[in-house]
Amino acid sequence: MTRFQEAICEKLLLSAAWTSGSIVVFIFAFMLFLGLPLLSGGHFFSLLTAHWAPQQGSYGILPMMAGSLFLALLGLLFSFPLSLGCACFISVLGPAKLRFLLRKVVELMTGIPTVIYGFVGLFLLVPLVRDIFGRGGLSLLSASLMLALLIAPTMILFFCDSFDRVPRSYLDAVDAMGGSKVQKLLYVMLPNSVHGIAAGITIALGRAVGDTLLALMLAGNAIHIPHSCLDSARTLTSHIGLVFSADFESLEFKAIFACGITLYLFTAVLVLVVRGINHRLRRPL
Amino acid sequence: MFELIKIKTENLSFSYNGNRILDNVSLEFREKTITAIVGPSGIGKSTFLLTLNRLWETVPQSSMSGRVKIRFDGKMQDIYGNGMSLTGLRRKVGMVFQAPNPLPMSIFKNIAFPLKLAGIKDRRTIDENVERALQQAGLWMEVKDRLNDSGLHLSGGQQQRLCIARALVLQPEVLLLDEPTSSLDDASAAVIEELLVNLKDNCTLIVVSHYFDQVKRIADTVFQFPYNGISQQ
Repeated sequence: MTRFQEAICEKLLLSAAWTSGSIVVFIFAFMLFLGLPLLSGGHFFSLLTAHWAPQQGSYGILPMMAGSLFLALLGLLFSFPLSLGCACFISVLGPAKLRFLLRKVVELMTGIPTVIYGFVGLFLLVPLVRDIFGRGGLSLLSASLMLALLIAPTMILFFCDSFDRVPRSYLDAVDAMGGSKVQKLLYVMLPNSVHGIAAGITIALGRAVGDTLLALMLAGNAIHIPHSCLDSARTLTSHIGLVFSADFESLEFKAIFACGITLYLFTAVLVLVVRGINHRLRRPL
Repeated sequence: MFELIKIKTENLSFSYNGNRILDNVSLEFREKTITAIVGPSGIGKSTFLLTLNRLWETVPQSSMSGRVKIRFDGKMQDIYGNGMSLTGLRRKVGMVFQAPNPLPMSIFKNIAFPLKLAGIKDRRTIDENVERALQQAGLWMEVKDRLNDSGLHLSGGQQQRLCIARALVLQPEVLLLDEPTSSLDDASAAVIEELLVNLKDNCTLIVVSHYFDQVKRIADTVFQFPYNGISQQ
């Protein structure tokens, strides 16, 4: 490859990186621009803290923020142990053929449309939750369980990849010392995969906060701050979807820009928190 | 002096990805001696070592036939037999790799790691064994004041001696060394050679080596690969 071709390649790749990076900034600027009337009118922070009561002229999005946060964290809480266990089985513990098969199944799961998960949740999980608990069919619990299933494949594949990146020489050393598979996993693979695990959690959490369809189909969409897993809840994303599909003129519609900005910042803060934890864990064994 | 046979391979063949690497290798290794395996690259010397501690089993698309017997507790035992515990075997047959492979932890924890894997928790026993292994590997004086430093911060020669100490901490009966000095300078290699000669009082050593000078200096027996049934002693 000539120097000229190399320079062209470098410029092309640089422009691709700049484009994708600037789109993220551009989207935020766009949200700010559209939400400017709210910000300049001093309504933005009252929207964040107030409750939703359109009859009284209050369009606060606090319940939706609570709904998004609870749903995402609950989904992650259910999904993380499942994903970690599954990744350990696929990467180390399982028999070779089953490991291969399971990995392919998990890769396939990433391609299943969210609406399918929604249907399965609606027709199988919601009645089950209602039967077991006597209430709460369309609830945070149903939505978070399906959400856990939705985000699990991403986490599993991230975890598996981070296990695969543990240097072969470390694994050979443990094998040669007579370490069992579980010891190899606990003492060498997990401590050396902390960053990959954190990355998997970050991506999964972003997906959980940003998911709209499952929340819309399974969480019930009631506008109040949920107090239990069996309560119905509305997330920021489903709120945007519901209001957007209703009208374009009302004050309610204007409030969804606050939802958008909040959602954006919310995801950014969550990513930073996970990165902060990850940074703290960066110490020798 | 009559020396017992410690390791015996019978018609050992090994294939990787459909290619036959070892073909009907039948060899005997005497107890408390140093045996060197020499020969050109890619001829199966390292693979042969892996058949003696079953480490090849983690390599996909590989297969082995034949038998390997090692004398444990005064009795020749088939290491691929049903009664043989894999973890037990690897604790008795230590291994040192071509490139030093300390784990990303402190010097002390590196040496204590096999003890942890073996379930030894008594702090005093651990301390004593770590010191003994480091002394055996000739590293104690160099690291005794910085046992909590990372093992990765040692020089190449020190890292290799750290790995030898780690392999010695469980007092193995056999020590397999795969070109242990190939990544080291002459001075570091000389230290390790001297160390190996001292170790044979307690241990049966098998060393894969490229260096004929080294082999002449330290080995009691030499096997030339590709193996054709003739060994030079």
